[in-house]
Amino acid sequence: MRAGTVLRTVWLIVAVGFMLLPVYAMLVVASAPDDTDLRGLVFNGFHLPDNIRLLFGEGNLPTYLRNSLILCVGTGVLDVIFSAAAGYAMAQLSFPGRRVLFALVVGTLALTPMVLVIPVFLIVKELGWVNTFQGMMVPGMISAFGVFLVRQFALGIPKELLLAARVDGAGEFRIFARVAVPLLKPALITLFLVHFLAQWDNLLWPLIVANEQELWPLPVGLANFQSEVGFTYHLTTTAALVTAVPPFILMVALQRYYVAGLTFGGLKR
Amino acid sequence: MSVLDRVRARPHGPVSVLGRGRARPQAAAGVALTLPVAVFFVVFWLVPFLAAIYLSFTDYEMAGTPNWIGLANYERMFADPGFLNSAWITVVYTVCTVVPTIVLALLVAVPLSKPGRLNRGLRALVMIPAVMPLAATSMVWVIIYSDRGLANTLLGLVGIGPQSWLTSSDLAIWALVVMVVWKSMGLFVIILTAGLQALPGEVYEAAAIDGSGAVTTFTRITLPLLRRTLLFVLVISVAGSMQAFVPAFLLTGGGPADATQVLPYYIWANAFPYEHMGYAAAMGMVLLVAMVIVSALQFGFLKGGDE
Repeated sequence: MRAGTVLRTVWLIVAVGFMLLPVYAMLVVASAPDDTDLRGLVFNGFHLPDNIRLLFGEGNLPTYLRNSLILCVGTGVLDVIFSAAAGYAMAQLSFPGRRVLFALVVGTLALTPMVLVIPVFLIVKELGWVNTFQGMMVPGMISAFGVFLVRQFALGIPKELLLAARVDGAGEFRIFARVAVPLLKPALITLFLVHFLAQWDNLLWPLIVANEQELWPLPVGLANFQSEVGFTYHLTTTAALVTAVPPFILMVALQRYYVAGLTFGGLKR
Repeated sequence: MSVLDRVRARPHGPVSVLGRGRARPQAAAGVALTLPVAVFFVVFWLVPFLAAIYLSFTDYEMAGTPNWIGLANYERMFADPGFLNSAWITVVYTVCTVVPTIVLALLVAVPLSKPGRLNRGLRALVMIPAVMPLAATSMVWVIIYSDRGLANTLLGLVGIGPQSWLTSSDLAIWALVVMVVWKSMGLFVIILTAGLQALPGEVYEAAAIDGSGAVTTFTRITLPLLRRTLLFVLVISVAGSMQAFVPAFLLTGGGPADATQVLPYYIWANAFPYEHMGYAAAMGMVLLVAMVIVSALQFGFLKGGDE
């Protein structure tokens, strides 16, 4: 029994160590003064601040970072607002078309972007939105996942609460804003986090719809980074590290919601 | 499916309690709150989906108008070496990423889900690779796979000479697979750990009293109880691998010599750089149908033993 515990601990430390090795290598290469040592094993001085200063001084990284933030925060907030409204209504109000809408939402959960990108691109082109922020943002603004998540969560709001508010003479919109939204807060935070992380990593759509460098978010910028800074490996790695920082901060701050978002559907029915 | 049942079974409480007079404002509010989402889903999901089906039966090339060509795109696919190669690579890529990821994630998650301060710290550390953006991850692995990178250094330690990971047509697909296994493992360890921690402790106490060994406990108790979480992880990892575009795009650009040209990459390349939109739409439909069939099989296979 004792030997088993020791063995288990050793295995865990080795396994987690291996999982962290590439992250460690990233830190080492991103802190290197030049490209001479790419092994990513031993720190050769700590030039990370210099490298970051260099990237923010001349390259396009600040533009990419700004674009990513606009994209992720903008669509994240809109997704939260629209999904909150629709998810709550679908769970708690009876109105014509509710079932059809629910079928539509669940149906789209199964669709792959590979099927949709072509016609959505043609629609965006028709709207004159190619190479615009709205072209990048609007098609990914509302997610089926978000509506579904809020709806599942809103099913748990006690009917008596809503009923009491109605008896008190509150209007439906007031009940939504004052009673439902505060109760839905954990689900809405989870949704914002999941949406932010997914958009932060969205390469395919901006790649298709934005050809101008001014509009590129980080993933597209990173993909073209090597040509830009003259293919220096260590600066590319520094840029990758910078890209990983905002998701990391969000995850640390909202860890509980992050796990809840990941396991949604796995633990609940 | 149980979700749908629950919706149907739910009485429309407030309406019936307060009488018909209250139903109208509720209906109006319901429509108003869902209208933006309904319009959005019709414009950006339903219409594009129907358009994709239509385009798949046309020769649309971005310039010009689509002409109906019936099943020609679908026939062309099965004579197109590029498509057949991509479909095969997608199968290999999916099987070889999903199976090791889930097995390794389980091997880590089972001991990691046990209480203790060390485990709590390790669980926090596991989240770091999971939360790394795939675009950033891919750039880091380009460095790891470079001639003087970490992969060759580690091989050197065990006496194997340096390999050209991303430029050898035999190795490139495996280089992608290793990166993706690493990337998804963190995510799945978190999900599985949460699932394991939600299992009832009494069952394990009973098993320990009965003198059940670690292996028996794992196969007879943990695995069956964890069925739902495992199904979830399996479905999302298979679906994720079947539509994976980013690793092939960033690490190898589909090469060398099409060796890593997974189907999503081939669809994208046909649709956008080459503008064969009708043909790409048809391949997209095949991918969608394949994904639906595979998901249905997984549900059938793992749900089979329930109840």
